[in-house]
Amino acid sequence: MTDTETRVARVAAPRESRRRRPGGGGPRAGTIVAFLTPFFLPFVLFYLVPVGYAIWQSFRVVRRSGGQYGTSYTTWGGFEQYGQVFQNSEFWSSIERIGLFGIVQVPVMLFVALIMALLLDTPLLKIKAFFRISAFMPYAVPGVIAAIMWSYLYSPQLSPVVDLLQGIGLHPDFLGPGAVLWSAANVSTWLWTGYNMLIMYSALQSIPQEIYEAAKLDGAGNWAIAWQIKVPIIAPSIVLTTVFSIIGTLQLYAEPAVLRQISSNISSTFTPNMLAYAVASGNNYQQAAAISVVIALITFVLSFGFMRLTSKRAGL
Amino acid sequence: MRNTASRVRLAAAAAAASILVLAGCSSSDHSGSSSAASCEPAKGKVTLQYWNTVPGMDKVVDVWNKQNPDIQVQIKNISNDQYGTISNALKAGKAPDLAQVGYDELPNLRTQNAFVDASACSAATAAKSKFVPWTWSQTSFGGTGVFAFPQDTGPMALYVRSDLFKQHGLTVPTTWDEYAADAQKLHTADPKLTMTFFDPNNAEWFNGLLWQNSAEMYSYSGDKWHVSIESDQSKQVADYWQKLIDDKLVRTDLANGSTQMYAAYQKNQIASYVGAAWGYSMFRDNLPSQAGKWSIVPMPTWGSSAASGDWGGSTVAFMKGSKNLYESVKFNTWLNTDPQALALENKLGGLYSAATAGTQLPALSQGVPYYNNEKIFDVFAESSKNIDTSFSWGPTQKTVNLSLQDAMAKAAAGDGTLSDALSTAQATALKSMKDLAIPAEAGK
Repeated sequence: MTDTETRVARVAAPRESRRRRPGGGGPRAGTIVAFLTPFFLPFVLFYLVPVGYAIWQSFRVVRRSGGQYGTSYTTWGGFEQYGQVFQNSEFWSSIERIGLFGIVQVPVMLFVALIMALLLDTPLLKIKAFFRISAFMPYAVPGVIAAIMWSYLYSPQLSPVVDLLQGIGLHPDFLGPGAVLWSAANVSTWLWTGYNMLIMYSALQSIPQEIYEAAKLDGAGNWAIAWQIKVPIIAPSIVLTTVFSIIGTLQLYAEPAVLRQISSNISSTFTPNMLAYAVASGNNYQQAAAISVVIALITFVLSFGFMRLTSKRAGL
Repeated sequence: MRNTASRVRLAAAAAAASILVLAGCSSSDHSGSSSAASCEPAKGKVTLQYWNTVPGMDKVVDVWNKQNPDIQVQIKNISNDQYGTISNALKAGKAPDLAQVGYDELPNLRTQNAFVDASACSAATAAKSKFVPWTWSQTSFGGTGVFAFPQDTGPMALYVRSDLFKQHGLTVPTTWDEYAADAQKLHTADPKLTMTFFDPNNAEWFNGLLWQNSAEMYSYSGDKWHVSIESDQSKQVADYWQKLIDDKLVRTDLANGSTQMYAAYQKNQIASYVGAAWGYSMFRDNLPSQAGKWSIVPMPTWGSSAASGDWGGSTVAFMKGSKNLYESVKFNTWLNTDPQALALENKLGGLYSAATAGTQLPALSQGVPYYNNEKIFDVFAESSKNIDTSFSWGPTQKTVNLSLQDAMAKAAAGDGTLSDALSTAQATALKSMKDLAIPAEAGK
């Protein structure tokens, strides 16, 4: 009783208690600081500062004084860099490209993940642990490595898959202008389906068994249980994985960047992130910062927009 | 102005604190001057930092370190993202004393104030006589400053699969017209065999071809850069390769130096290679089973007079902030002119020296076993002499190259032409310079 009372009192009037007993409040504040510092220090150093720096840089422009090579300095430029970004046709075509990528890849990946999660959750499947691990395995492979691996499978010079397909009279060009976007999508799907499946599967695990028993008593079959009970209950996880996927799509970099090594059909401005990188490597850091900020804003609007759109329906 | 600033700060409340913090240090924008470098020998032992990308360079440096206990050199390989590493180090104020920089990147880094002018050291200006003239003028930007020492060059030549040429009764081409005719004959005889490949992702290579045809892409006069990437000379080269691509006489699906490229050569699918001097060790090391089948001949020419281009090669630059300029000059001179160092670099790293002494190395006057004991370096030496010495690179070359590559890839895929790619590159050059406040205009 007394314990709860003091806690309530402290929560209600923390300032007062601290003011009254600085000695007594000190260690507690110290504890809070001690526990929070390990989080806040890196958070400020490696998150807030770089983000702030990028925003700051995006409002600056390079000027130069004198001569053939001159001396450069940066100065305040207002929204000049943003104007450049919005006028840049490469930027818009990269946005369009990953828009198309996301509209196709995200639903396909999440649908497959959902089916796999539902299958794992049925008593039909006996060796669950094995399937759970093997489906999750690609996620343990770093994206760059996965892309390198797939690039060997796509490459007509080296791939046993292409050889095999040619053997039966097919001549696929995985790296051609029309196909390469989907080859990159395939790598992403391979990498992330297991991860999304695991999130959905965890949600399925937390559904109490009584619900299924009740449903069965009401005469529901396995299909009905899956689509009318399980899926609506785990809808919040599906929304969550969709938001993750939207963010991931807008940040797409590693897969196309690696495939670019072997396919000239991936330009240096294929995705918005690749464009930002190309601009930065041309020493136009301010412009690259503005591109990054715009990508971040679009990501923010799309992911929160999706959450708001679905929150009512998903019962969040 | 201030109003917009505060509005942004309000909107980004979380980031506001860091913006204010950073606003304080924004005056650290690099505004270095490259003047008044002093050239005093250090008192006591010195350790130099040297960043490079050449295989085997650690062994060369070992030789130096043994002979010079007072000037020790620490080496770091930056092959992975060479210029990103250098740029980041510059921004952080932690650049090494010396770094390897390609000729085409020199103007770019110069506009970032990356170098220190070593002409304060008499030994640096005296080194001029030791290098092939055009390489020196690229590192001194045609002026009196000394910002880097040339290390190696990539005089171009044609690598020929003699056995395949013989098998199909082809003569070794001396002009580009003959080369195209040979390519047509080869394709007619065996559609699976192509003359060479056009790598759309390799602007450096394409620039070498333009260089051969005296395409002066940049010049500086009247306080302005003049961009003429779309010149008649470069269009001639573009149209030529466009026709080879259209007629399917060259492949466009291979990247230079890729596993795929070696696989295609390994499978005898390609009969020649338009390459540079440093490529000799690539073929030797990656296709050992084709020893004796390759010959190296002069690159085909556009007219009757000999002309060649350069592809790649690089310099060892004096980086801004070096506190040991005297010692850096000393080491850099040894590294790039000493016969022992040059011989090792050629053997281990495949470097074709930019120093005139390099062409007189005993190893370079002998036949090379892989190439049927032919004296291939004689071909490169001749090529080197025929390189247009007035060619210069632009200050935003990397951006221009990326844009050129993207457009070349489109052309190779049937969307536009290589000539269009030149127009794209021209526009990119002008815009990228404008973005970095470098005064530029089109034409001469």
